[in-house]
Amino acid sequence: QGCVDHPVVLTEAVCNPLYSRQMMSELLFECYQVPKVSYGVDSLYSFYHNRRQNWPCSGLVISSGYQCTHILPVLEGRLDAKNCKRINLGGCQAAVYLQRLLQLKYPGHFAAITLSRMEEILHEHSYIAEDYIEELQKWRSPEYYENNMHKMQLPFSNKLLGSTLTSEEKQERRQQQLRRLQELNARRREEKLQLDQERLDRLLYVQELLEDGQMDQFHKALVELNMDSAEELQSYINKLSLAIEQTKQKILQAEVNIEVDVVDSKPETPDLDPLGSEQSLEDVESINEFEPLFAEEQPEVEKPVAAVQPVFNLAEYHQLFLGTERIRAPEIVFQPSLIGEDQAGIAETMQYVLERYPKEQQAVLVQNVFLTGGNAMYPGLKARVQRELLEMRPFQSSFQVHLASSPILDAWYGARDWAVEYMTREEGWITRKDYEEKGGEYLKEHCASNVYVPIRLPKQAPRTTEALAPSRVLASSTGNPCEQA
Amino acid sequence: QSAGGEAMNENKFLNTDSSTGSVEATVKPLPFKDPNFIHSGIGGAAAGKKNRTWKNLKQILASERALPWQLNDPSYFSIDAPPSFKPAKKYSDISGLPANYTDPQSKLRFSTTEEFAYIRMLPSDVVTGYLALRKATSIVS
Repeated sequence: QGCVDHPVVLTEAVCNPLYSRQMMSELLFECYQVPKVSYGVDSLYSFYHNRRQNWPCSGLVISSGYQCTHILPVLEGRLDAKNCKRINLGGCQAAVYLQRLLQLKYPGHFAAITLSRMEEILHEHSYIAEDYIEELQKWRSPEYYENNMHKMQLPFSNKLLGSTLTSEEKQERRQQQLRRLQELNARRREEKLQLDQERLDRLLYVQELLEDGQMDQFHKALVELNMDSAEELQSYINKLSLAIEQTKQKILQAEVNIEVDVVDSKPETPDLDPLGSEQSLEDVESINEFEPLFAEEQPEVEKPVAAVQPVFNLAEYHQLFLGTERIRAPEIVFQPSLIGEDQAGIAETMQYVLERYPKEQQAVLVQNVFLTGGNAMYPGLKARVQRELLEMRPFQSSFQVHLASSPILDAWYGARDWAVEYMTREEGWITRKDYEEKGGEYLKEHCASNVYVPIRLPKQAPRTTEALAPSRVLASSTGNPCEQA
Repeated sequence: QSAGGEAMNENKFLNTDSSTGSVEATVKPLPFKDPNFIHSGIGGAAAGKKNRTWKNLKQILASERALPWQLNDPSYFSIDAPPSFKPAKKYSDISGLPANYTDPQSKLRFSTTEEFAYIRMLPSDVVTGYLALRKATSIVS
């Protein structure tokens, strides 16, 4: 039918850039002909889903997702967008950190340590330590290590000690590459020779014109060739003939050397001399690619000798031992300096956000700290957040930390609840008419949405028409044109 | 649930291939799409006929900054968390235990003598890998 004929509820980023919203609205309304659209923030939908009887309530929502972590204060059911903060660390960065740690620890298994395996480790074998330093001290003792280290068994592969082929196969491959390089160079030289020959012939022809006395044609030809006089022509001819001679000699030399190389195949010391005598640039580049290959070969020679003696436990070789990595990887959202990020961690950012409020509001917010998001599923997160709050709140003040009932899916459930409740009501929906009048970046606020700042964006014109004049209408930004029940 | 809405996730990068039901290849005409639609994002100054110049995040933020915001308005870049005020704790690069010592040759941190022996045996690419993980590689080599 060419359209989607039911309303759509979408989640967007906190303080979504107006441009992104404009693009999205355009896609939905123009391309898919959606009747009405509502945008919201996923963590707020999750908050809405987990509400208790006293809605609208206030709280501090900490939502940690795949890409970033948000700390959102919610006052009376509405997001207080001025004081939100976002830390650019999430599950993705934790997985990458874990991957690099393991790859550096086990360089032989570089390719086997994939991101999906890292995510599996994070989901199933990692936890957040309640007190990081204390946990690390526990890990110092060997018995604790033995008991709590997790061994990950990698699938079996034939690669041993980092070398993929036996040494004979390596020599074979090296010689093949040598041969291929030489063939390539020979071909290039022949082509160059041909081109030079042709040019030389042309120049000789022009010279003949001069000797025959046909001055006009000669001068015309000179102009075509971009030369000024007969002497220049002569010098060009000389240079070209010299170059041709040299190329011919090189071809002869290379042919001789190819035969020499094939005859004596010396495994150990690679014979760089036939290639090394070439002066042209192309050859130098190929030599440069070749050298790292040759440099690697040398240390490999000693290894096969040493590995023969000890009994080689193949099963153990393919195991990764996870000790402190189990707590290090999820710790980056609390201490971004582990990765080198200079943003503050969750605890410090919470403190920063709380301090922007007067004391009574701080107490209210802290009564309902809400954890949600996929990255919040680590065991031990709730205890850790409680401990951090204990450290930063005044002595003997109370606080409450809640975890979402199902941190990953709650955003969807919350959006469904909202949609079902508000389906027939007008608030919160952006209709097609609104889109056309007020532009793609318009947003109607509701209990789980962003705050709308009324700045018009110039409409992007398609390629074929002229660009419209930018129409920037800055309405008085009092903040929230609230249109909720 | 046909009357209900569907929740999709829009992440930072423009995710324009999220449709409600049509997952067919581009060969068949998509039943939900208006066939005459050309997205306005296609027109770009330097774009050819086939290219869609979607802006990446940096470009979007740069153009957002240029808009007339007031001081207190929330916007994507104003809600970035501030840098930390507390000094960073030092942990060993190898084991993660609290590290009191730094190897002067390779600048890796370690906590025990066994770790130190291990560090001294490492090849240089692993050393740079550990430093890069901490973003401690020196700019001037």
